[in-house]
Amino acid sequence: MTAPAVETKNLVKVFEKGRRTIWQRLRREPDRRERFRAVDGIDLRVESGEIFGLLGPNGAGKTTTMKMLATLLIPTSGTIRVLGIDPLERPREVRARLGAMLSGERSLYWKLTARENLEYFAALYHVPPTETDQRIAGVLTAVKLTDRAEDYVERYSTGMRQRLALARALLPDPPLIILDEPTVGLDPQASRDLRDRVRELRAQGRTVLLTTHYMEEADQLCDRVAIIDHGRIVALDTPAALKRTIRAEEVVHLEIGVVGDDAPMLDRLGRSATLARSERRNGTLSVTAHCASARDFVPAAFDAARSNGATIRHVEVVPVTLEDVFLALTGRQLRE
Amino acid sequence: MTRIAADARAFIAAARTHLRQQRRYPTYFLGLLFWPVLLPSAWVLMGRAYSGNDPGALAAFAARAGSENVTVFVFVGYAMYMWLSSLLWGPGTILRQEQVRGTLEAVFLTPASRIVPLFAPGVTVLIPMSLSFLVMGGALWLFFGIVPPVAAILRAAVIVVLGVPALYAIGSLFSAAVLRFGEIGPIVQLVRGVFVLACGITFPVAMLPIWAQVGAWILPPTYIVDDIRRVLLRGAGLGELWPNLLTVVLIAAVTAMLAVLVFRYLEASARRSGMLGRF
Amino acid sequence: MDELRAAIAIARKDLRSLLRYRIAVASYVFTPLYQFIIPAFLFGSAFAVNGHASGLATTLGTDDLAGFIFFGGIIGAIISTAFWGMAMSIRNEMDMGTLEPSWLTPTSHATFIIGRALGGLTIFVAMQLVLFAFGIVFLGLRLRAEMIFALPAVILAMGAMVGVAYMLAAIVLLIREANFFIDTANFAFGTITGVSFPITLLPGILQPVALILPTTYAVDILRAQALGSRPLFDMRLEYAVLVLLTALLFPLGRYAFAKAELLMRRRGMLAQY
Repeated sequence: MTAPAVETKNLVKVFEKGRRTIWQRLRREPDRRERFRAVDGIDLRVESGEIFGLLGPNGAGKTTTMKMLATLLIPTSGTIRVLGIDPLERPREVRARLGAMLSGERSLYWKLTARENLEYFAALYHVPPTETDQRIAGVLTAVKLTDRAEDYVERYSTGMRQRLALARALLPDPPLIILDEPTVGLDPQASRDLRDRVRELRAQGRTVLLTTHYMEEADQLCDRVAIIDHGRIVALDTPAALKRTIRAEEVVHLEIGVVGDDAPMLDRLGRSATLARSERRNGTLSVTAHCASARDFVPAAFDAARSNGATIRHVEVVPVTLEDVFLALTGRQLRE
Repeated sequence: MTRIAADARAFIAAARTHLRQQRRYPTYFLGLLFWPVLLPSAWVLMGRAYSGNDPGALAAFAARAGSENVTVFVFVGYAMYMWLSSLLWGPGTILRQEQVRGTLEAVFLTPASRIVPLFAPGVTVLIPMSLSFLVMGGALWLFFGIVPPVAAILRAAVIVVLGVPALYAIGSLFSAAVLRFGEIGPIVQLVRGVFVLACGITFPVAMLPIWAQVGAWILPPTYIVDDIRRVLLRGAGLGELWPNLLTVVLIAAVTAMLAVLVFRYLEASARRSGMLGRF
Repeated sequence: MDELRAAIAIARKDLRSLLRYRIAVASYVFTPLYQFIIPAFLFGSAFAVNGHASGLATTLGTDDLAGFIFFGGIIGAIISTAFWGMAMSIRNEMDMGTLEPSWLTPTSHATFIIGRALGGLTIFVAMQLVLFAFGIVFLGLRLRAEMIFALPAVILAMGAMVGVAYMLAAIVLLIREANFFIDTANFAFGTITGVSFPITLLPGILQPVALILPTTYAVDILRAQALGSRPLFDMRLEYAVLVLLTALLFPLGRYAFAKAELLMRRRGMLAQY
């Protein structure tokens, strides 16, 4: 069995909110700053050659985890091994083997051309001078930017800048690549394009660890997904296995016009499906139900509504997604 | 509400918004304490290095500058420098920030007069400017033990008030340029450089070559700084300065009209080229 | 060797970026001219008696006004390079978002200051050549062969200022109002060290501060050699103090920078703006 590409044990990162003033320090006043556990005991094992996704809403602790793996942050406690190396002990060795794309398009020099950007970073990655040109040509081809290599980055679209940032991450020919929200801000076409590039990386035998808050992205791209919320991993498996955990084949969204108490109706609906979410606003009850078959559930739902004097205004039947898994696990939606 | 009253309200609202934004940058106010003291003090000490122990050197300076009092000479020059910096940079920079943020386009979508964004930011610049004058006066008293006579200070204040419109108008001319050309920082830098060299900020205008002196006397700051020095250093009365003051007021009126015309023209041109929302 | 290549790449990137802004290049020459050199020269000339800076001669032992200003300007430019070119530019990169990917590479973070020092040195030399040419043509600046003896002092001052730049970078990476800090500290440093007037004219409480700044000795040695002015102390003593301060400041700066970097990795401020 080969060593994992990334392994963390009980990883914790606590941030203090605000600062202690010099006066407070001089007077040795107790530190009363509020503490915030951004990452709260994460155990992770990313195997070599897989695309592994950290899926969670904004502020779940995904980026903090990535920054700790990339040596930019020191954990409060816990252990990390990146390609078998401890980033706390030997950070520069980790950085030499790691391709990272953390802040996307802002991380490039807009007044330089793509090639000039890559030449600069090749020197910082200690790429031997004799190999630099060849390496740059290789990464430009990989992200399909060869014909725009001499253009200033300021003339690029957001998608092209993201691809160039990915090319830069490939410069050290890394066995492990970490991508933080790689498709954020991209249009659907550019997102698809970038995902294709990521799949090619796996085909080349590299390991990819990415964060995302797009469930479709995690579903389509990742071999395994860890769902992360409030700094903890709440589920970890392949996307298919995760979807199986909610024991439903289909998801039904209902909008019901209700007058008076809705409890009896919800009780009756709950007998034919698992109600993942129900919310009442201005006389409209929105219900998300996980069921084995919509063909059976929807007529039952109409019966339940009618017998309680309510009217079903809208029905939508969709297949199970990772969003539903997140909802079932946390009671919240990814985008809340 | 009449249109003028509505525009006046918009004017006050725009000025207040800028003042509120300024409050968010505390170092801006720290700078108002720091620079008006340090910059002129350094030049006063330079003056001491240049005059040394030679009474002849100081006499030579007095012959060219009209007074032996290097300290007040330098402080008045730097007051003008601060003034120019705020009025040349200030309104244009604020308008530019609005353009980059996209709020300028939003202001232009309102029925308020186009003149509001051109002139309102300048008003907010007057407050920190007055503060820097006060700080300079304090530094003169605390570090150099100089307190000019109250009557002279009042006369200087009158000259400042009469001079404000001229400098304000020059600043607005730059604001207008923002509409068409976007980033004008480098141009302002260049113009400020010309003013610093031509208007007798840190050295007497008499030190310039004749052709440059002719140029200097068509710029309002030269008159203003010279008049203030005359009242503070030589006890001149306003009566003997009236030709200078009239010139300043006339230049102010012409420049302000020019600013409005240029602004109107550039605004129309920006609407054609789409520069209003672009940067 | 890898680190040297990285440092050269950083310098080259800085120069390339600078050259893309033509106006910025012009202002590198124009700003010192209008803010300091020309006004100081005309101000000094206002004290001249029959074209002779006799007042300056009593203060300094030389009446070479242009030389006094230009050789002070050399040290002033070295100080500015450390404050703006080496320290503040790191902060600018942090605000722009380009520092983070640079720090994700195996290049030592300390090399980022050295790279900027190399780039800054190139800009400094080019700028001084243009300014001196202006001085010779328009302000009657004359050069003496003896100025070459001050070269070691200038080189030592540069080394010491790299140490200072490490400390400044440590500060600007951690504080919020970096621009204001660098602007005011740069002016105060240059003024107290004697760029524009001899430190003997400083108020009493500032004179000990001047004596712990390496550039105070460098500017004094430079003026003594290039203009024949009276040095503050025996020049051998000044050289000894300059060597000592450089030897002290460099490791001290590296230590402060490493500490700041560690703090940032704990607090997580990198790339936040």
